Amino acid sequence: MVPDFLTIAEAATLIEKRELSPVELTQSRLDRIEKLDGQLHSFIRVLPDEARAAARAAEAEIAAGRYRGPLHGIPIGLKDIYETKGIPTTGHSKVMQNHVPAADAFSVAKLKDAGCVVMGKLATHEFAFGGPSFDLPWPPARNPWDTTRFTGGSSSGTGAAVPAGLVLGGTGSDTGGSIRGPAAYCGLAGIKPSYGLVSRAGILPLAFSLDHAGPMAWTAEDCAIMLQAMAGHDPADPASANRPIPDYRKALSGDVKGLRIGLIRHFYTTDNKADATTRDAIDSAAKKFAEMGAEVREITLSPLAEWAACGVLIMMTEAYAIHEANLRTRFTDFGEIFRDRMALAGLWTAADYVQATRRRRELVDELDRAMATLDLVMTAAAPSEAPKIDEVPKFAIMERPSLTMPFNVTGSPAMAVCCGFTEAGLPLSFQVVGRRFADATVLRAADAYERATPWRARRPPL
Amino acid sequence: MTRVELDAALARLGLDVPERERQELVGAVGYVAEMARLVKKPRWVGAEPAHTVAFPIGAFPSGAFPEK
Repeated sequence: MVPDFLTIAEAATLIEKRELSPVELTQSRLDRIEKLDGQLHSFIRVLPDEARAAARAAEAEIAAGRYRGPLHGIPIGLKDIYETKGIPTTGHSKVMQNHVPAADAFSVAKLKDAGCVVMGKLATHEFAFGGPSFDLPWPPARNPWDTTRFTGGSSSGTGAAVPAGLVLGGTGSDTGGSIRGPAAYCGLAGIKPSYGLVSRAGILPLAFSLDHAGPMAWTAEDCAIMLQAMAGHDPADPASANRPIPDYRKALSGDVKGLRIGLIRHFYTTDNKADATTRDAIDSAAKKFAEMGAEVREITLSPLAEWAACGVLIMMTEAYAIHEANLRTRFTDFGEIFRDRMALAGLWTAADYVQATRRRRELVDELDRAMATLDLVMTAAAPSEAPKIDEVPKFAIMERPSLTMPFNVTGSPAMAVCCGFTEAGLPLSFQVVGRRFADATVLRAADAYERATPWRARRPPL
Repeated sequence: MTRVELDAALARLGLDVPERERQELVGAVGYVAEMARLVKKPRWVGAEPAHTVAFPIGAFPSGAFPEK
């Protein structure tokens, strides 16, 4: 009997020792998808035959002594903006519902090379931006902790499927918070890696200069395992960095002694005021880091609204340029949320875009200066628990300044880490952020925190 | 931005926005103006944009960009 919940690290240990069969593990996840996904809608396409075939192949290889590593035989899901050879990749949109790619995205090929079993394509907000929407060909994913709640977006299917144990890990993308938002609201771990670390080639774009691809999983350790496979230079992505990839799992020392952490408290106490429960949870996490031997001090940056304006303006205008032709000819084939946000994006001028990119340089410099004497900064990942799914405003991203967008603007590695639950049992989360390409330090701090706190022991009551 | 100005802007963009949604857009155009205001700071005439972020030396394949 395969347990309902396993981390990637736990399953990998059992698979390597041949105490867990990838075929049985995969079938157990398919059974769980069959049982639960009617409530969660985390998948828009399940691939049972392909998954069983991949699991059989993994099992045969392992039996023949060719164990590839900790992702061999591990069931994962792919956000449906990651292109998959011969399998539709839709962006959760009517506009691309018949798009069948000729090749896998670079990162998908790398995950398959590492031995992953792809279970299917996961829900997203339309083109990683517009949602939650009820007027698309597939329903929006639901929060596994309370299915009346929002998952966060845009990597909504991954946010729902991992905590529910439908997959052990999955892919996300993050242009303004689309990995960290669902990770926060659904209580899992998700890292937006440094810009340039994971190739964007073969991933449907939202905004070229802000798009980051990355893993989402139950723990920081699992994210480290997935990031190890996904990271690496790709000449097909003009922003792909060509630099050595460290051993992320090896960096998980379990301690934070000596790390210098800047707490950006005004982001969530003044600029986008979090509720008291969230504030207390984040302040407690900062205190925990201090108790564990980190040096924590409060820092002040420019107001959050300035970071958010810079990022949102760049994101929406780049997205408008990408979708302009279809917006002109097929406006109502897009969902209402996506198309109306895009209509607003069209109102900005070319000069506005250039001013935003000039502001971006200033803000990048500002964070670099602040981090000259710091290893990490931390702040809130969301201002509250997940809201009701039918109470998310159409223009939410413009109404309140995003807590996650600043680190898309700077290209910094940033991770959402669960730091408790509300009385109603909904997850709370903070962000930990590193210097560019110091992804290993971010994972180290997140992993140490998870090991020192009880939050990873709790799963959704499905 | 007035409704007449919004209609003119959408016509220029070539977007066929349904009537009900136009009413909502009129209520949201203030966000567009506010964000444009927030990114405009007094700055030196030569202040450069960030094309993405600063790439570390050696980030590109050999020969793609000369290293300093």
